[in-house]
Amino acid sequence: MYRIRFHGRGGQGMKTASRILGTACFIEGYEVQDAPRYGAERRGAPMFAYVRVSHTTIYERGVVPVPDLVVVADASLMAIPAAGLLTGCTPQTILIMPPLYAETPPLPFPGVHLTMDMDKIRETQISPSHLSSLWAGAAARLCGIVTETSLLQAVEEELVLLGEEAVAKNRQSALFGWRLMEAHTGCVTEKREPSSKAPPPEWIEFPWDPVSMSAPAIRSPETSRGVITGLWRSVRPVIDDARCGKCWWNCSVHCPDSAITVNKEGAPVIDYAHCKGCLICVEECPRRAITVRPEERDPEKGDPP
Amino acid sequence: MNKPTIKKITDLSPHRLIAPGTPTCAGCGALAGVHQIYDILGEKSIFVNGAGCMTLLATYPFTPFKGSWLYTAMACASAGAQGVRDALDILMEKKRRQSDEAMQVVVLTGDGSASGMGLSATSAAMDRQLDFICICYDNEGYGNTGHQYSRSTPYGAKTATSTKGFHGVKKDLFAIWAAHKPTYVATVTAAFPLDLAKKIEKASKMKGPRMFIMLAPCPPGWHFDPPHAVNMGKLAVNTGIWPLKEYIDGKVVHTLIPKKRVPVEAYLKSQGRFAPLFLPGNEGQIQAIQAHIDDYWALVPPS
Ligand SMILES: Cc1ncc(C[n+]2csc(CCOP(=O)(O)OP(=O)(O)O)c2C)c(N)n1
Ligand code: SF4
Ligand code: SF4
Ligand code: SF4
Ligand SMILES: [Mg+2]
Repeated sequence: MYRIRFHGRGGQGMKTASRILGTACFIEGYEVQDAPRYGAERRGAPMFAYVRVSHTTIYERGVVPVPDLVVVADASLMAIPAAGLLTGCTPQTILIMPPLYAETPPLPFPGVHLTMDMDKIRETQISPSHLSSLWAGAAARLCGIVTETSLLQAVEEELVLLGEEAVAKNRQSALFGWRLMEAHTGCVTEKREPSSKAPPPEWIEFPWDPVSMSAPAIRSPETSRGVITGLWRSVRPVIDDARCGKCWWNCSVHCPDSAITVNKEGAPVIDYAHCKGCLICVEECPRRAITVRPEERDPEKGDPP
Repeated sequence: MNKPTIKKITDLSPHRLIAPGTPTCAGCGALAGVHQIYDILGEKSIFVNGAGCMTLLATYPFTPFKGSWLYTAMACASAGAQGVRDALDILMEKKRRQSDEAMQVVVLTGDGSASGMGLSATSAAMDRQLDFICICYDNEGYGNTGHQYSRSTPYGAKTATSTKGFHGVKKDLFAIWAAHKPTYVATVTAAFPLDLAKKIEKASKMKGPRMFIMLAPCPPGWHFDPPHAVNMGKLAVNTGIWPLKEYIDGKVVHTLIPKKRVPVEAYLKSQGRFAPLFLPGNEGQIQAIQAHIDDYWALVPPS
């Protein structure tokens, strides 16, 4: 059985990529399972989807704990432990992803690490909205069990609702991904033995409260502060204090994520650990005091590492 | 004591009661409104949330709230609110809680639920004069499951289940709710924080069913880029598509009448979901939408 995991951010099309690959394998006559990991995935938030492909009936269920192939759409996910990119990877696992960021330390990845040539993709002017097909095409070639015809048919079947033009562009994109991986055709190896068990979840034991106490108090408020949604950001809003008129009812009130606090002097302060980079504050600031800068992380300024 | 304290924009709180770190999309117009509401109702509110996007706010073990939050099935948030209200009342009757600790029970429900399977439970709660605040955040579709159309989707909008544009009619939930003669019904949207705050503050001092419908611009569902979320709300109001109004003492009053309405095309054009309306041959549909809005406002008495 082949076990494949696609990782990306909500909106990057990895669910679609997994479906195209799954359908292509199904057309080839395999038994297939493909499913996105439904959790709280949202545009920008880490998500993954997984595919199982087998000659015989598939009895495994749930996420793929030990993958043969890992496809990653976004190198910035490496910084997010909860995204679990490298979970369960073995020396036989193939990893394909965009180039790592310059400052990334060497990956604790035991398998074969392939890099997708994003510059080449940019040159072809494939639109980001068609990249799911590209990753599906690449994954199909790496597995080596899908013909070009089945791949293109799968793109068509999965995306027919988007209309002819989008299907045509996605077919091109799928073929491009397919061709880029030519040198590595079939490098993913199939594992026959059942994949090893996932580690048990880390349960937290809660003692029972007496009924008289159990409502309506809550045990620990505001635990969401521990979730670093600042890692979703691709650009960063920066307030120019010299231009700021301290009219926080424009930026702070409109920030959906409570990521602009107001200090004692009445000046707005952006909480970069949680700002998702929606840039509403930039658009709403009447003095144009907030500029958009490329994302850089400075842990000394309280940024997430 | 019952005098309103919020009269101008600077009367709003500069402090945010809802914590960051929630998994809603960047630029979520529903969360924007929920935080403005929570800032006014205060941390003693208990939320009862029917399945939908906002149920992601408190996903175990994380919560952005300081107080309690109850997750119910999609159809029965208002029934859940009855249970919570009763429990609080019993605790107070038995003197286990002081009456000055009275808490607001606040339903959060999506439009799909409120105008569909949740309508019956909410109708029954109004019939029973349940003392609660009900907030329907209207993102005009089944957002949480990938934006399929709901009965609150506007005509012409492309959704996952109406790829050529929705050909139904947006249900008039305001009229349906007002027909129950509850204590209060209002429309709001986060792009108008002062209007929203005044209405929520007013409602917080009343008893009985207090109902809100909040337009919630939704970047992925409506196909626009997150920075424009507030602008979508402004356009919705300034085109007259989203009238800001309230029902109180048997009368409907408009709280903001746009002086000169912006043509609806400006709103429709700014969102990818309305692309089907701009296909050649569909010009008549945009005119029909404009005519519908004009007809609505023709009946509104000037303030
Ligand atoms: C009885 C039932 N049917 C279907 C679902 C799946 N479901 C969960 S959220 C949701 C969409 C709800 O739409 P809406 O009420 O508008 O809230 P939104 O997701 O837009 O916030 C659906 C269909 C469910 N939870 N319960
Ligand atoms: S809106 Fe602009 S000028 Fe006003 S407080 Fe915010 S950053 Fe400063
Ligand atoms: S970019 Fe968005 S999330 Fe970040 S501070 Fe501005 S409004 Fe808030
Ligand atoms: S889908 Fe829309 S309503 Fe739901 S969390 Fe995202 S932006 Fe908010
Ligand atoms: Mg909805």
